[in-house]
Amino acid sequence: MDDQGVAYLAFCLVILLTSLSVLPSIGKGIVVIIALAIILVGVFVILILNFADFLFVSMVCSALGITIEPAAGYRIVKQQNAIIKNVNGLFYATGYVTANLFPYVFKLEAAAENEDVKLITSPENWERAVMNIGFPFKYHVLSTGMDVQKSRDELEGKRSYEEFQMSRALQNKSADETTITNIQRRLNILQSKMDRISQGEKPIATVMYVETTAIGVSEKAAVDALTQQINDLQISMSSMDVDLSRIMGREIYTLFNFNFGLPCTKEELEASFDMQS
Amino acid sequence: MNPKVLVLIGFMALSIVFIAIAVALPHGTLYVVPKLILMALAVLFDVLAFASRYYTFLILPFARQRKKNIVISDQTPYWLSSTGESIIRREAQDFIATVYINIPIYVSASEMTDEEKARFTMQVSRLVGLSKEPVRFTAELYLMNKDSYIQKLKDTISRIEDDEAKLVEQKKESPELEHLRGELSMWRKMLDNVSSYTSYELGTFAAVSARGVKESEAISFAQQRARELMSGIGTVLGVSPNIVVGNEILKYVEPEYLIPYSTITEQIARIVRQEV
Repeated sequence: MDDQGVAYLAFCLVILLTSLSVLPSIGKGIVVIIALAIILVGVFVILILNFADFLFVSMVCSALGITIEPAAGYRIVKQQNAIIKNVNGLFYATGYVTANLFPYVFKLEAAAENEDVKLITSPENWERAVMNIGFPFKYHVLSTGMDVQKSRDELEGKRSYEEFQMSRALQNKSADETTITNIQRRLNILQSKMDRISQGEKPIATVMYVETTAIGVSEKAAVDALTQQINDLQISMSSMDVDLSRIMGREIYTLFNFNFGLPCTKEELEASFDMQS
Repeated sequence: MNPKVLVLIGFMALSIVFIAIAVALPHGTLYVVPKLILMALAVLFDVLAFASRYYTFLILPFARQRKKNIVISDQTPYWLSSTGESIIRREAQDFIATVYINIPIYVSASEMTDEEKARFTMQVSRLVGLSKEPVRFTAELYLMNKDSYIQKLKDTISRIEDDEAKLVEQKKESPELEHLRGELSMWRKMLDNVSSYTSYELGTFAAVSARGVKESEAISFAQQRARELMSGIGTVLGVSPNIVVGNEILKYVEPEYLIPYSTITEQIARIVRQEV
């Protein structure tokens, strides 16, 4: 969670938690219990919105049958997982799938190992995936260069924190083996990232996603065909070491807008994504 | 001030006001229900304040329209610049120009040695890290556009059908009629053949955007970024990238250009005819 997210969460939770202190002024007995329940529901909803807003908002929109028209001629369906365009009675449904590298892979611990094999097999894996896909799609890599010194400082800061955690865990006799192993793995990952920068690799931030479009003679037929295509994409690209999950919620709107205008700075790009990407 | 911050402050203020009113109301059974309603409203506005971080674009139109189909914008999402080299989008007071660059890559992994494959992967990695500004690289598999060819076939068929009908009306069994029928059969088979299979093309392109307070300023910045990027792409991959112009841009933007309308409707019609 970024600084802005922490600020939003803190402000909104403070109001609700402060309202707990005024509960005696509301009433007594059952009234206080009802008021407390209302406040707790609020806290619960805020926490869900913080960690999985795309699921919660999609659920609410689906239950209430809310559709969104992001621009003339386009419509986001109530499940918030597809954008429909009606062209002379033919429905075009577009959906998105994340295709980011897994947040944690064992290979990251030892970047140099298997590197050559990976370099050689990548083009083949890609071509095999494309040959297996019998429908239109777009594989997007949205990237932005990062400041080398800033990235290095950030990694060093993280490494110092992990080293501190490690020394605490080693001093604590009750710390189990799993905790120490986990910290060691995180340290190895940070070290391998720093080694890569030291070897001259440029740090970059990337967002990768796949866009596919299906057609149908009705909206439902198009959305069903799209779901089938997304399932096929997930199978065909499974060999590519990427996390393929269907995007829903507000990020559909963000990615739709990216077709007509990309973020112009790194900060704008970062502000566009949170949980799913 | 950022409108998002204003919305946050507004909702939080409403929440605090409702809590204050609930506290200020006198005790008594008469005020129990209003107090609980005020508390519920306070919680609702607090939740909306939190949701405004990402959903301001949805909350404000929903509050204004109060219907199930929320219209965020009734305008087309972009327009083509007068030079035809970029698409423009309006965002608040600014203009965002986006330039599309075609990257012609005609190599296949099946024709490469292991060393070439490794080198190609390294080149792609370097390509992705080329720019400090956000750049989007895309590989697009799209249906080959046979619309104009299909239309030409359809026009020919309808012309010959007209000629045939005229001869049939004259009730003349002539070699000319036989010739027309043969020709008609040939073009119909051709149309059937063209629409019976789907051909795909794989293209690679990059897109880069720039913001400006004027349309021309945004276009100029975007073109500058595109030129820098093109020079980098040329150096890394050893190809000659070019800026996509005119209607060709639509191929990367609109879904009906990804799956051309006539090409696919002809295919659907053929499948329906077969099923019937």
